[in-house]
Amino acid sequence: MIFRGGRTGGRAIPWWPPNVYRGVSGSRFPVGRLPDEALLSGLATGDPELAVIFVRRFQHRVFGVAMAVTRDPQLAEDVAQQTFERAWRHAQIYDPRRGSVMTWLTTIAHNLAVDAVRARRTEPMAPEDLEELLGVVTETPERWALADEASTQLRAALARLPREQARAVMMAGVYGMTARQVADAERIPLGTAKTRIRAAMAKLRAVVASLERGDHVQ
Amino acid sequence: MSSDPTCDTLREVGAELALGVLPGRERAEAVAHLDRCADCREYVRQLTLVGDRLIGLLPDGEPPPGFDNRVARGLARQAAPAGGHRRARAPGPAHQGLRVRARRARLRLAAAAAAAALAVGFAGWAVGTAVQDVTAAPPPAVESEPVLVGDMTPAGGGAAVGEIYAHPGSPAWIFVSVALTGPGTPYTGEVTCLLERGDGTDVRVGTFPVRDGRGHWGAGVDVDLTRFSGARLTSADGTVLATAPLRKGQVLTPEE
Repeated sequence: MIFRGGRTGGRAIPWWPPNVYRGVSGSRFPVGRLPDEALLSGLATGDPELAVIFVRRFQHRVFGVAMAVTRDPQLAEDVAQQTFERAWRHAQIYDPRRGSVMTWLTTIAHNLAVDAVRARRTEPMAPEDLEELLGVVTETPERWALADEASTQLRAALARLPREQARAVMMAGVYGMTARQVADAERIPLGTAKTRIRAAMAKLRAVVASLERGDHVQ
Repeated sequence: MSSDPTCDTLREVGAELALGVLPGRERAEAVAHLDRCADCREYVRQLTLVGDRLIGLLPDGEPPPGFDNRVARGLARQAAPAGGHRRARAPGPAHQGLRVRARRARLRLAAAAAAAALAVGFAGWAVGTAVQDVTAAPPPAVESEPVLVGDMTPAGGGAAVGEIYAHPGSPAWIFVSVALTGPGTPYTGEVTCLLERGDGTDVRVGTFPVRDGRGHWGAGVDVDLTRFSGARLTSADGTVLATAPLRKGQVLTPEE
């Protein structure tokens, strides 16, 4: 347990023992347990310790997103690195009202990954990759037992969608494919592709809105 | 949602807009409509949230060994040419309100790039070496902690409504978190953070937005934080919202 306070005594604060130690000044600072927002603020100041801690905290998420979209380890690594560079460069304008640091980073990684794939391939995804990824994101058993309720509900809702709608929303939402590209990939009319994306998003929106209101979704 | 036919059109393309896959001209028309239709902005905001959550379902991945240090060193290399004196930065978001960036975060990043003129330089110290030290240095056994801490209390007294942490090192930075949710209408607006010296003088270190009494903010600062004994938050009209004495924190870690 860590205590803070003056010489008259300390009181417990909700931080665990420091797991990072400053090497420059010789003093220590428990930055490993800083809130995400505070860590990002520190990152903006150019503190190299915070850079390492920041990367370690989010690297699995960022790399996972990059890998899911690109399906190429080398490209995913490049994307993940660019993601952290952008976060560092723009840390001072992060707005917590728009979402968590995790969501912010994930969105950066996703956009960069989609752009990277667009620049290198004519086909954003292979059909087998889509099926595999769809299988992973709609898994709801014990593997995700510790996941938050919202994610569990969304996985279930995605699994309940007609398969063609789930495929369409994954193509657009994850691989960044336009409705035209979805239509070409699925060999369906453009209007049908648009309808599938719209219908899927409407159903998922109902679930998310219900969760925001605190309703239970079956 | 009104009976405006443009709203109907927006409903048709809102999902693609929120997912960032609506082609150029349609997207431009949709965004133009959003600028004048609050209902449709809310509609697209909800769909954008769905898109964000969809990305959130993607599985984590194991980056290659040493990725964290390589990235940190890359940041250090980029920072090095920018050395010299750090400048005080304008904190907080560079833009306010939801003007629904249909291209999801891509548009947010575009705005971020515009605001990047505020970017800070590095303090110019041996960044790469520090990264090495972080990963290699074994943890010493006991205490020591150069951090200033304080509990924010309302101007009229009462229970703590927030905290302030100030790191007086190089670079120096502070982090403030408040929840001014006591009786009455919670404050919404800009809050100014001032640091107070023992002689009664103070220095304004930045502003940040508070919404419904809640907000947090952090920034690098170009002042010697050890010379300050307190902090004060004021509203846009100068009213003191909360104050905090700054005490030198001491983190004590028992030996194993």
